[in-house]
Amino acid sequence: MASTKVPEVRDITRIERIGAHSHIRGLGLDDALEPRQVSQGMVGQLASRRAAGVILEMIKDGHIAGRAVLIAGQPGTGKTAIAMGIAQSLGPDTPFTALAGSEIFSLEMSKTEALSQAFRKAIGVRIKEETEIIEGEVVEIQIDRPATGTGAKVGKLTLKTTEMETIYDLGNKMIDSLSKEKVQAGDVITIDKATGKISKLGRSFTRARDYDAMGAQTQFVQCPEGELQKRKEVVHTVSLHEIDVINSRTQGFLALFSGDTGEIKSEVREQINAKVCEWREEGKAEIIPGVLFIDEVHMLDMECFSFLNRALESDLSPVLIMATNRGITRIRGTNYQSPHGIPIDLLDRLLIIATSPYTEKETRQILKIRCEEEDVELSEEAHTVLTRIGMETSLRYAIQLISTAGLVCRKRKGTEVQVEDIKRVYSLFLDEARSSQYMKEYQDSFLFNETQTAAMDTS
Amino acid sequence: MASQSWMDVLKSAKKTALIHDGKRKIHYLFTDGKEMVEEYDLKTDELIVRKWRHKSTLGVQGQWQVEVGEPLTSSASTSASDVIKENCSNPIFMRKDTKNSFQWRIRNLFYPEDVFSVFVEPSERCIIIKTSNKKYYKKFSVADLDRSQLPLDGSALSFAHANNTLIVTYKKPKEILSLEQELLKELKKLKATAEGDVDCKTQ
Repeated sequence: MASTKVPEVRDITRIERIGAHSHIRGLGLDDALEPRQVSQGMVGQLASRRAAGVILEMIKDGHIAGRAVLIAGQPGTGKTAIAMGIAQSLGPDTPFTALAGSEIFSLEMSKTEALSQAFRKAIGVRIKEETEIIEGEVVEIQIDRPATGTGAKVGKLTLKTTEMETIYDLGNKMIDSLSKEKVQAGDVITIDKATGKISKLGRSFTRARDYDAMGAQTQFVQCPEGELQKRKEVVHTVSLHEIDVINSRTQGFLALFSGDTGEIKSEVREQINAKVCEWREEGKAEIIPGVLFIDEVHMLDMECFSFLNRALESDLSPVLIMATNRGITRIRGTNYQSPHGIPIDLLDRLLIIATSPYTEKETRQILKIRCEEEDVELSEEAHTVLTRIGMETSLRYAIQLISTAGLVCRKRKGTEVQVEDIKRVYSLFLDEARSSQYMKEYQDSFLFNETQTAAMDTS
Repeated sequence: MASQSWMDVLKSAKKTALIHDGKRKIHYLFTDGKEMVEEYDLKTDELIVRKWRHKSTLGVQGQWQVEVGEPLTSSASTSASDVIKENCSNPIFMRKDTKNSFQWRIRNLFYPEDVFSVFVEPSERCIIIKTSNKKYYKKFSVADLDRSQLPLDGSALSFAHANNTLIVTYKKPKEILSLEQELLKELKKLKATAEGDVDCKTQ
């Protein structure tokens, strides 16, 4: 007898992808702002982390706006990691906008417009707004999946209060989020009618049973009273840019012709600034200056720098953090040389944090953290070899080898990455130095090698 | 005195009138940015529709909120259908006035008449409909009385149930009646654009 196989219903539980800095959870400081050697994914760089901690406190206080910080250091010394650490410690309520210096060069928008938008994205306004919510106890959820397994699901949700009961039709998105939240009969939930956001308040008292196995965090709440649909005041944070966009959209049918190319008129901005200040004075809103992080800041040109000079003086300005790996170099858009490719007058306003290259011990530690993050087991010798590679080539290259060696190891059905696996990938993938060496040796056989020499000289 | 001030607000509003479809349609733009639309039957001068729209604090254009008349069909809000909406078997609440009374009709109520109780809650300035079988509950205020700051009177309230519909009636007080008379006279003086487009200013 062949048993029929029931197709598995796959639920959407998010798999977190691993990014270059996903192991960073904070700056790794204690309460006295003293950096711990290894903490929250951060290793070493004690002085610069401590400095970042001071900046962090400054941001958290929220009183100081319009300050700028520059994180400077060699490639692969943790500049972006420190910025990410600041972002993580600030928490979700403080706006943190990150962009790369080259992102602002667009044909649709002027450079200064892109910069002002970035500035305004980094300033949050916490404001009360009335929204319509549905609050009730779940009586029944019924979700019908089509027999074929594909196509739209149909769902019904019955909610009740102490006084009434209503049946709702569910859309696809709603069904997904209900199953993601694992809502079941007896839960008391609220649904934001506009956004469809669900929050579970707890289990209803009437459903409490002695023999039910409950998690420790299960809360019991009363069934809500009165009407199911209520108007409630909720506090939420929006960025100034979002308010700009809402108010700059052309009303009515003219919106069809205007398109969304994105330049926002300065009058709109002024109006909104005035309105926000008014709200703040009336106590309706609170301004949260956030952080704007510009990576690869040497990619900005002279006009951008002079704009920054001016923008930092405005009272509605976030804390600006920039990072660069350049030394004394040409300022883009001019023929002048300047430290970090930033004009002296702007440099004068900056607090500069320097990062230094990692020591061998620190490199070892970072590689270990990355191995944990990427779920790769490393044998002791392999770890030592990898650390050497990291010291001799670059940390980034060594980190790249972790995942590739992990894959090679899995292919030979091993559980722990051995020295051989590292050797294998080391021979398969060139690091920067070996690649350059290779170029020098075999330059003649590459295409366009006649012009190569001339081009190389100028760069 | 209080009802006078609402009249003043109405008078100060920017009004646009249009006669279309046997209805006199009036658009009010108030000084605080709120918008109101009223539709009157040309023959009987009865109010058919009154709806409101205002911008949220952030400046988002809101949806029309219907005070009097058929609720808007959700065809316009197709994006919202992806989220959640009431099942069509649920009770439908709407207000439909007559000359001398405010009237609310709730359709799709399949329960016997004796489960319903309708009463005035003076402390919250609203009327409450309750069912003893806990299936339906509605709390609503009478916007006209609120605007004119008139008290709610329990004796003016009555209700009936027939054909799965609950009809709640509240007799209009004489202040409201005179106010409506006056407003109607005012509206008839407005030069209404007959048929076709209203010349709207290009932005």
